[in-house]
Amino acid sequence: MIYAEENPSGVTEVDLVVAIPTFNESANISTVTSQVDAGLVKYYPDLKSVIVVCDNYSLDGTREAFLGTDTKSPKIYISSAPGERGKGINLRNLFQKFESLNPQAVLILEADIRNVSPDWVYNFIEPVRKGAGYVTPIYVHHKYEATLSSVIVYPLLRCLYGRRVRQSVAGDCAFGRSLVEHFAKAPYWSDLVAEKGIDVWMVVNALYTRQPICQTVIGSPKLHRVKDPHAQVNKAFIQLVGTLFELMTPFQDFWMRIKWSKPTMLFNAELREAEVPIPMDVNIARLFETFSRGLDSYRDLLSQVLSPAEMHKLDEIRSIGIQHFNFPAHTWATILFDVAAAYRNATSNDMKLSILEALLPLYYGKVASYVRKTERMSTQQAEEVVENECMVFEENKAYLVNRWKTA
Amino acid sequence: MAKILVVDDEEHIRLLYSEELRDAGYEVITAESGYKLLELIEREKPDLIVLDIKMVDYNGLDLLQDIRAKFYDLPVILSTAYDTFKEDTKSMAADFYVVKSFDLTELKKKIAMALEARESFD
Repeated sequence: MIYAEENPSGVTEVDLVVAIPTFNESANISTVTSQVDAGLVKYYPDLKSVIVVCDNYSLDGTREAFLGTDTKSPKIYISSAPGERGKGINLRNLFQKFESLNPQAVLILEADIRNVSPDWVYNFIEPVRKGAGYVTPIYVHHKYEATLSSVIVYPLLRCLYGRRVRQSVAGDCAFGRSLVEHFAKAPYWSDLVAEKGIDVWMVVNALYTRQPICQTVIGSPKLHRVKDPHAQVNKAFIQLVGTLFELMTPFQDFWMRIKWSKPTMLFNAELREAEVPIPMDVNIARLFETFSRGLDSYRDLLSQVLSPAEMHKLDEIRSIGIQHFNFPAHTWATILFDVAAAYRNATSNDMKLSILEALLPLYYGKVASYVRKTERMSTQQAEEVVENECMVFEENKAYLVNRWKTA
Repeated sequence: MAKILVVDDEEHIRLLYSEELRDAGYEVITAESGYKLLELIEREKPDLIVLDIKMVDYNGLDLLQDIRAKFYDLPVILSTAYDTFKEDTKSMAADFYVVKSFDLTELKKKIAMALEARESFD
């Protein structure tokens, strides 16, 4: 629920909404707001637009920094109650606001992006104006950036819902009128969705409602504030993967009949001069060790979730050692399918959380394998590895459907 | 019977694909260029397109963007002599690609998959 609202210009109905979810973003909110405003003025001067900050009652001056930014576009500040945290909560408040704003197109941008430019507004909004229902970005990314997306979210989402949306949980998206109405109803909401799971929730709802999806080529990496990567990955893993599993139940009639996958529309694909990704170092030894220790720590639980053959395969994979480490795509796919079925059958939220925690070290093992396999490859070649692994997921979907019906 | 549109500027490819795909049970129509391709698709309503990437007067990847924008779910399989096109982001809008060969096993497999995918969405 919206706890506080400031609408100094008295904005009512608009054509475009650019929303920025925040929590303690005073350092960067003014920059993002200025760039968004410049984009709205440059590309959509004849449309009624508003910039909305959806805040978690920040006490660092986010509200003051936002409302104090000099813009031509009007601004609205809304906030959840003190203590209510999460991007999902922010966006649910935004969805509530749709009733009065009634926008034709909405762009959501994260508040800590350091390199956002006015062109980004055009690159996200224009596909919606051309008929796309939901728009996700294709940022320039290093082969080891966003591995959660590369080894779980993309293959699983694509295998389940049949659409190849490569960076569906990058945090930024745009959507049109149909989803404005659908999101406002907030179906199948959960505690996981209230935080980072919102990104999965939005794209799955877009796919379920058969919105034409467009991927827009940004041509830049997404530069944002560096947080504690380990803590962030673990939290994102639980919330994103948990939401993916959670939504498999209400949407089972849809995904169970989807076969293979289809591409999406592209926007700005003719872009030639893209920036280069930021180099990343990955510590394979640490990933392998986390996998190996996790396999021992969660052996009892994993033995309940996975078949004896899969447990044997995991031990075999570990025994290969780090030098030639390889976690086969087929094994990874069937493990994820079995874990999804176990998650569905879990009788308590604590049990569901334990299942996700047991999967986490296996994910690190899969990342170690991906890094080992692609370390001498270009980003393009590494992408082909990801694409080939996605095909393995699709080829084994019958196994998932069978497990889902019988487990 | 699914209708397949083969777009290729090489006559021997059009003939080969037509013969083999007809034998496989498909109805086949052909076009030798991308000229008025969208109008042809509108008129003939093919179930799938096999599209050459490098034609004399047309770039198949550009045609693919136009097709995808107007016919969102129409399956398109890129047909190419070289796989260097994969570096071009535009190729992401294709359902599949095949490297041109006299053995059409791979093409037939991809056609079956693309048609099955489309049917599952209906």
